[in-house]
Order: sequence, then C-alpha cells, then structure tokens
Amino acid sequence: MKKWFLLFSTVLLIMALSACSSESGSNSGAEGNSNTDSITAWAWDPLFNVAALELAEKQYTQENKDFNLKIIENAQSDIVQKLNTGLSSGTMNGMPNIVLIEDYRAQSFLKSYPNAFYDMSDYINEEDFADYKIPPTSLGGKQYGVPFDTGVTGLYVRTDYLEEAGYTPEDLTNITWEEFIEIGKDITKKTGKKMISLNPNEPDHLRFMVQTAGEWFTGEDGTTANIGDNEAVKNAMRVYKEMLEEDIAHINTDWSSRIASFNSGEVVTVATGNWMTPSIKAEESQSGKWKVVPVPKLSVEGAKNASNLGGSSFYVLNIPGKEKAAEFLADTFGNDVELYQKLVSEIGAIGTYLPALEGEAFNQKDEFFGGQKVTTDFVNWMREIPRVNYGMHTYAAMDILTGELQNYRTGKKLEEVLNDAQKQAEAQLN
Amino acid sequence: MNLRVSKSLIGWIFILLATILISLFYFYPMLQAFILSFKSGMGASLQFVGLDNYIRLFNDPVALIAIRNTFIYLIFQVPLMIIIAMFFSVLLNSPNLKFKGFFRTAIFLPSVISLVAYSVIFKYLFSTDGLVNEFLLSISIISEPIEWLMDPFWAKVVIIIAITWRWTGYNMIFYLAGLQNVDHSVYEAARIDGANVVQQFFYITIPMLKPIILFTAITSTIGTLQLFDEPMNITMGGPGNETLTISQYIYNLSFEYTPDFGYAAAVSFIIVVLTVIFSIIQFKLGGERD
Amino acid sequence: MNKLKLFSTYFILSIATLVSLFPFLWMLISMTNKSVDVSNGRLLPGTHLIENLKSLFENYNVGSALYNSFFIAIVATILCLIVSSLAGYGFEIYRSKGKDIVFNILLLSLMIPFAALMVPLFRFFGGVSQTIPFLGINTLFAVILPYVTTAFFVFLFRQNTKMFTRELIEAGRIDGLSELGIFIHIYMPSMKNTFAAAGIISFMNNWNNFLWPLVILQSPDVQTIPLLISNLGSGYSPDFGIIYTAIVIGTIPTALVFFFLQKYFVEGMSGSVKG
Repeated sequence: MKKWFLLFSTVLLIMALSACSSESGSNSGAEGNSNTDSITAWAWDPLFNVAALELAEKQYTQENKDFNLKIIENAQSDIVQKLNTGLSSGTMNGMPNIVLIEDYRAQSFLKSYPNAFYDMSDYINEEDFADYKIPPTSLGGKQYGVPFDTGVTGLYVRTDYLEEAGYTPEDLTNITWEEFIEIGKDITKKTGKKMISLNPNEPDHLRFMVQTAGEWFTGEDGTTANIGDNEAVKNAMRVYKEMLEEDIAHINTDWSSRIASFNSGEVVTVATGNWMTPSIKAEESQSGKWKVVPVPKLSVEGAKNASNLGGSSFYVLNIPGKEKAAEFLADTFGNDVELYQKLVSEIGAIGTYLPALEGEAFNQKDEFFGGQKVTTDFVNWMREIPRVNYGMHTYAAMDILTGELQNYRTGKKLEEVLNDAQKQAEAQLN
Repeated sequence: MNLRVSKSLIGWIFILLATILISLFYFYPMLQAFILSFKSGMGASLQFVGLDNYIRLFNDPVALIAIRNTFIYLIFQVPLMIIIAMFFSVLLNSPNLKFKGFFRTAIFLPSVISLVAYSVIFKYLFSTDGLVNEFLLSISIISEPIEWLMDPFWAKVVIIIAITWRWTGYNMIFYLAGLQNVDHSVYEAARIDGANVVQQFFYITIPMLKPIILFTAITSTIGTLQLFDEPMNITMGGPGNETLTISQYIYNLSFEYTPDFGYAAAVSFIIVVLTVIFSIIQFKLGGERD
Repeated sequence: MNKLKLFSTYFILSIATLVSLFPFLWMLISMTNKSVDVSNGRLLPGTHLIENLKSLFENYNVGSALYNSFFIAIVATILCLIVSSLAGYGFEIYRSKGKDIVFNILLLSLMIPFAALMVPLFRFFGGVSQTIPFLGINTLFAVILPYVTTAFFVFLFRQNTKMFTRELIEAGRIDGLSELGIFIHIYMPSMKNTFAAAGIISFMNNWNNFLWPLVILQSPDVQTIPLLISNLGSGYSPDFGIIYTAIVIGTIPTALVFFFLQKYFVEGMSGSVKG
C-alpha cells in the first residue's frame, strides 16, 4: 500500500508545482483590481447590462486610448452577496470600481456603507435623467448613482387570443386592474387560456401595481412602514387575490416556468418590465401575434397607467481609480447621446437619459409586435412613471406581504392582513 | 511510564495539524460572529446592543416559524433518510449482486446533481399540472390535483421528499464503507444458528455499524438544522413562510434585506445551541462509551 | 426462495435507479435542445447539442473553470484525507480525556452555518492578502484553506477507526514499525473503504462549493464551474440549453470519481481478523 502514499505525494507535488505557475497568472488579475490603470466593473446579464458596458467602453476608448475596462459578469444575487460581504468586512480588497445595483436595493447599500460610494454630483446632471430614477440613486442631496436602464412596465398581449374572444388591444389600453379581471374572466371562458401568469411566492406584480399610484411600502423617509393604511397596497392585494380566485391566473413557480407560460402560448397577457421583450421574442413562431399596451393601473386616485419593475443604475466605489471610473461613466451614460442610440438599436436597452430618448433608433417598427413602434411607446410611458422612494426595505416588506398574502388567500380578512403586516414591518424594519 | 508519555505525545502530534487549521478557519471567525451577535445596525455601522438581538429573536414571529419548520424537517427527514440509506447499502452489499458499481453510482448520483437542475425538475414534477399529480390521478389515489407547492402541508412534504432524494445516496456511502469492516464469518455463524435475514440485520449489522449510524445521525441533524438549498430554490420559503428555514432566514437578514449581520449572527447561534443539544442526546442514545 | 430474493432485490434497485436517474436523463435531453424548447418542457432529444456546446465554449472560459475546479477539488481532497485521517486516528487510538475534550470542541465548529462565518473569514483573508498575497483574496488557495480540514472528516475517520482492529497495531509494534509507520503501512491499507468514502465526499463538496468561492474569488480567470453556471443564469433571458450543457459537463467529474472510488468498497483487512 505504499502505492497509495506514493500516488498521493506525486499528485500533491504536481498540483503544488502547477499552482505556483498558475498563481502567478491569477495574481496579476488580483492586482488589476487595485491597479488604477484598469477599471473593473461588475454587472449581470450578458445580453443587456454587460453588453451596454461593452458598447460604452468602445465609444469611450475612441478618445481615451489607454482606458481599459474589465467587465466581470455575475448574477445579480451573487453581486449583492459579494458586495455585502466585502463592504461589511471593511477590506475594500477585491472590490470593483464600478458596480451595477438594482434601484430597489440602492438606498440600502448607500445607507449601510456610508463611505463606500463615490459622490457623482460633480460629474453628471441629475436633471438629465428621468425623474423617478433620482430618489433611489441619491442620498442626502448627493447623487451617487448614474441612472441606467428603465424598468418601464407594459402589458404584452396576444392579439390572436383577444380576437378569438372578440376583443382588440384597445380594449385593454389604459384600463384598471378591475377592468382587466372582468375582461380576463370573459377571455378565459371563451378561449380556455389563462389571462396572466402569477407566482404567489414571489408576487412582484404587487410592486409595480403599487407604484402606479405613486405609493410604496415605506413612507417618504424610506424606513417607516406604510402598509396598514395604504389604499394602494390594499387595492393591489385585493386585485392579486381576485385574479387567483377567479381562476384567470396561471401559476408559475420560478423564472423558467414563467417564461414558459408565454413561450408555450398558455397565457393571454404578460404584465412586466420592458426587459422581458427578448424572452417574448425568443419564440419566433409567435411573431406578429403580440402587442404591448400600457400596464393597467390601480383604481386609486391619481394612479397612472405607467410603472416600473426592476431597473438599475451604476455606482462608483470609493477606492483608487474612482476618478477614472467616474469620468468614464459621466462621458458615456451621463452624456453620450449617440451611445443611447446604439443601446436601443444594438441591444434593445432603453436608458433613462432624457436628452437622448428620440431619434432614428427609437422610431423603429417592430414586426414581431405587428409593426408597433414599441420603443417609442415605452419611452412615452416611462415619462409618466410616478416618482417613488423605494427606501431601505423593499424586499423585507415584500416578504412580509408574501406571507400575509398566503393568510389572505386562506381566509384572513384584508384589514387584519394589512394591520398585521404593518405591525410586523414596524417590528422588523428600523 | 516513559513510553506511555511519549505515546500520548505522539497522539497529540497526530491531531495537531487538524486542530490548528480548524481553530484558525472556524473558531476564530466563530468567535467574531459571537461578538457580532451582541451588536446591531445596518451593514458596516454596528453598535453594541447587549442581549437585544437575542431578545428580539424570541419576539420575532418569522424566526419562530423558521425554527418550527426546521424542527418539522428534522423529526421526519433524518430517521427516514437514515433507514432508507441503510436499507440500500445492505442491498448493494449483497455478495452475489451483479452490476454493483452501476447501481451504487446511480443511487449516489442525486447528491452530485447541480442545484439548479434539481430544483427546476422538482418544481416541474410537483407543479399542479405536473407529472406527479398526473400519475396519482391516473391511478385514482387522488380525485383532484394537489397544489403541492402552494399548500403549507404539501410544500413541506415536497421539501422532505427532495432532501431525501438528494441525500440518501450520500449517506449510503458511509454505510457501504462501514459494512466492509463487518466480518462475513459472523453472518455465516448466525445463519448456522438459524437467524433469518431480518434477525441478522438487527443483531449483527446494526450493532456493528453503530459508530457509523451515530455519525450519519449527527451529521444529518447538523445538515438539516442548516437546511438552505431546497427551500431557497424549490419553494422560496413559501407559501408564505411555511417552508422557511433558519438558515434561509439568516441569508435573508444578511443579503436579501438591508443587512443586519449582528442579528443574523444571533440567529446563527440559535442553530449552534440546538445542534449541541441534539448531538448530546444522540451521543447519549448512541451509547458512546469505552 | 433465493431466486425470489434476488429478483426482488433487482426490482427494488431498478426502481430506485429510475427515480435517481430521471433528472439526469432530463438534463441530458435538455442539453440537446434550444432554450425555448427547454423552458417549454420538451422531453425529446433535439438537434441543438453542437450549437449549445459551441456557444458555451466560445463565450465562456470553460477550460479555465474546469482547471480551477479540478485544482481546488484535488488539492483540497488530498490534503483533507491526510490531515483528517491522521487526526481521526490520533483521537481514537491514542484516546485520552484531554483529547476527547478537544474532539468535542472541534465538533462544535460544524454547528454554525457557514454564512455566519463568511464576513469574519473574508476580513481574515483580507489581512492575509496584505502579507502573503498568494494565499489571499482572489486566489485558489484561499478557497482551499478552510476546507483542508473540517471537523466532519475528522469525525468520519474517528468513527470508522472504532471498527479498526487494534490487535494489528500491537502486531506492527512487535514488527518494529514506528507509530507513523503503523499508520501508513497497516492502518491506511486496511481502511481504504473509509479513504474512498471520504475522498468521494471531499471531492464532491469542493467541486460543488459555491458560497465561499463566490465571495473570495473576484476575477474571471479564477472562476470555478459552479460560479460559471450561476453566471449563465444571470440574464433576464437566460439560455437554458447552454445552462444544461454546462451542468452536464460540471456533473461528469464527480460521477466518474464516485464510479472509480466505489470499487474500493470491498472488504478491508480488519474485517477478516475480527472475531
């Protein structure tokens, strides 16, 4: 049995040797992060955010030849974990220069790590960006984030199913959720197709429903729970439950089954952010059968047929290289009109930089949507999105509501549901 | 005397390296986490709050639900899995069985599978219009589809099925390895004395495997008390919080919500306390002596 | 009677195999399909395998991720087997009150969720980075170090050592072997079942490890397979065909390691002497 031991030690030796050689390689990468010559950026989605950064780099390096951007692709939840671990440990070692953060989470990062982010106020003009992007990306009068993509919502509808049931897309344009349910019951009866796909374990529809009314789960200060007496939340919960009870909803359990629900033609409509467009277009055989109309609103005073779901912005970390990173973002996403044309025409990303929201690229007809000028419509709806402070606790509040939604479905009264959610939020969010 | 001292010293040398490494990479951070559990605040701005986190814990309905759910998993899942694993390891150890390697690998494979694939498949199988319901309907065990993932009771059942599916083969390995140390001549003797298969299993196999059974019981208990992957990926803790576990709650407190690492650390130490209690009970039941 | 027993054994094992393998079949089928077909739940093999493989290897550095994963898993497993078996042997064979106390304290390290240790551990490696950069943040060794020994493997070896025949040690001493010699020449060969089991588990844990590599590794050149798979799903419109292709590639090594090491689940020397 010397063989075993011999084998062990040989392999060990080989690995140790190869380690030394490979380590020298990866070490240069590690130094790259702290090295001010090259700027690192973390972002998710290769076809969207990463592609946008690549385009920006291409534009920027035409004038700044020695600029070098290293884009590292990570899933969003992975970035959140890495950033939280790194920033809270106090060692800025290994942190990127630029990071993409979802707007719902931005305030939480800015407040939890006060000195970790670099003030961009001197680099960009916040008035150039869509109004609703400012509250999440700024803190204490300072503008930290460079607003990037919009999560403007729309209601994607299957025109062929509508026709079969005797409706037109106009019948679904600028309606309330109550009207949506009424029409939905009729269409589901006539076509046998479900009206919408929902995941009660992850009710993200509640978020953009509530925003149509210019409301949120926390108050203006971003921390005080605002659920118990919030008409918008009440309305949204009622609508959500009704869709499940009236049997017009298909139930999905995760992202892939959600995508499958429309790719396989099981549902009549999809209410979501504009970034879903590529997934809808992935099923080429459905070309010409879709249209997009404004998202339904809550029947609350002042509600608009426009809302937001997701959307994110770029941030610069307060580490060596920050000026370089800030200049790059300011000159590209903060200023470059031409870049925004390319973002639309090459990757279908709609930005929130107001001076660059028109032109050739924005007026293209999309045959998949029966010749509709989809981008133009999304941009128009984007201007209408009610301004809301997402505050510190979007996901904590959502989890509380998800729990209470379950109780509501199994018979608890809506008033109690909201009061209990309010109490729980007051105890938990501070 | 001299010889005994030196032998004891050699013993210490054998365990030295492991002890140093575990102290460095586990006890040092654990100590820091313990200190952290007396602080609270967002992200990097933490203040000393004494026992507040622990007091908050016992008044936090979500934490209590998570503890309850974790207990339910523990009570049903650990014995179930250990029995099945032992059963298969004995079957797969039969001397005249062909294709042993194939069967062993097949039953072990679930523990290798990527979490992504596994959770997608389980959600697909147990969706309301999924294969499981279709099968049960077709053989008339049920008259209408069960909402597996949307019902508080059945969602827990799905989680237990999923963990059992994934970890049985893993535990089987330890039994398979241990069984090799059980002498076949003991079975021969028992057979001559007229003991049947079941008697052999209870009077020879189980007593012989006792150290391994204790090992799997304790490590499975630890694993279940720290259960995270399945509820996170299959049910997302839902419906409501009905499948949420303690570990998942710790994750939410650290990364999903505005991070409060102090409170998250306090919740972690609840797991430590629970695990210690269960382990002591198991060591006692396992009759660890000599 | 015996035939019936054998038949039912095969029957039960076949059912279990089917239940165990079904998801793998599904993975294999999915890697041959287009993304849309995968999400629509197509259960028939498609013709997209080559395209999926091509776009996976062209767009992602699979080779480097495989190398990193192999490096981490092999080095960690070998070191783990050596350090843990020495300790497990030491705790059981040279048993004393003091060592029992140390052992019980070591077990305590298993009882806290790793998520709670991550921030302090990251800070620790941040400090290491300042002094010994090749062991610090963003290196493969930083991934390996916390997994060189865990109390789990020490515990595993100790429990298995309880089944080891001590008479063999005395025999070895009479033959004039040193204490380490007994460990190497007598203990290791007769415990190859345990080494095989521990090797499989350690390889698998390190191969699949996600949370710690995720936070400690930053640059793409040190990425591992699970991190790569996680990144594949990072988009709003993930390509499921490619994801399953990567998953299958990532599953094969552990399956092979198991298949080759399970051969060592044969009767050890200790069994034949035991009476």
